[in-house]
Amino acid sequence: MAKVAREMVEKAGVNVDQLLELLVKNAAAELTTYYYYTILRVNLIGLDGEGIKEIAEVARIEDRNHFEALVPRIYELGGKLPECMKAFHDTSACPPARLPEDPRDIRAMLQMLVEAERCAVRGYTHICNMTAGKDHRTYDLALAILNEEIEHESWFSEFLGEGPSGHFMRRGETSPFVSKFLK
Amino acid sequence: MREITLDELRAADGQEGRPAWIGYAGRVYDVTGSFLWQRGSHQALHKAGRDLTVELEAAPHGAEFVERFPVVGQLIPRSTGGSTCGR
Repeated sequence: MAKVAREMVEKAGVNVDQLLELLVKNAAAELTTYYYYTILRVNLIGLDGEGIKEIAEVARIEDRNHFEALVPRIYELGGKLPECMKAFHDTSACPPARLPEDPRDIRAMLQMLVEAERCAVRGYTHICNMTAGKDHRTYDLALAILNEEIEHESWFSEFLGEGPSGHFMRRGETSPFVSKFLK
Repeated sequence: MREITLDELRAADGQEGRPAWIGYAGRVYDVTGSFLWQRGSHQALHKAGRDLTVELEAAPHGAEFVERFPVVGQLIPRSTGGSTCGR
């Protein structure tokens, strides 16, 4: 735990216990989404499925990176992860995704993905709002994750044909915003 | 539509197996079965058993997320029961 770092955040007026609960919930959402992307990947087959497999794989790795980046901040602030995986799953900030009844229904998969990403965008926007100008390190982390979640939402939204495409798949290394927290 | 007092709303706090209701814009919604309202708590910040009309203004989502839940009834602004200022 980083004692003075926590004190500074408290002194700035942030309810650190509430913030920690939110960070744990969002870490759980990242890990459960990573799991969903993993089972999704093996079902993304055929002409439609293979077409989005690569971009889904990027989102899978980046969501796992978000989990990895959140955990140290939780412990720095004096928080901790639940002792059992089921409790962690059940505390997720977003309803855990699941494969559609028909695992070859690519559109249903995409709709579930875009909803998961939208939930994440809402969650990190909220954390940014809570911490802006008060908890600089958490803000920086939440903003980095938010940048990537917004791109994920855009990718899947565009696959669903919700609007013209202003985005392209990731070029270069994954997690261009979050990678600085992983070194 | 059923009329619900603030006291009734407060009692539906989602704790210890009780139902979880929330007030919004004069209506009471039942969020008991929602994954995101387990034990009457939502995103570490919001509690069931309360009128969340003002809190929702600062939420990162709109009213449509509340309005998708079943309506229990109409919220009556004041609690019923005996007056506390009588002699």
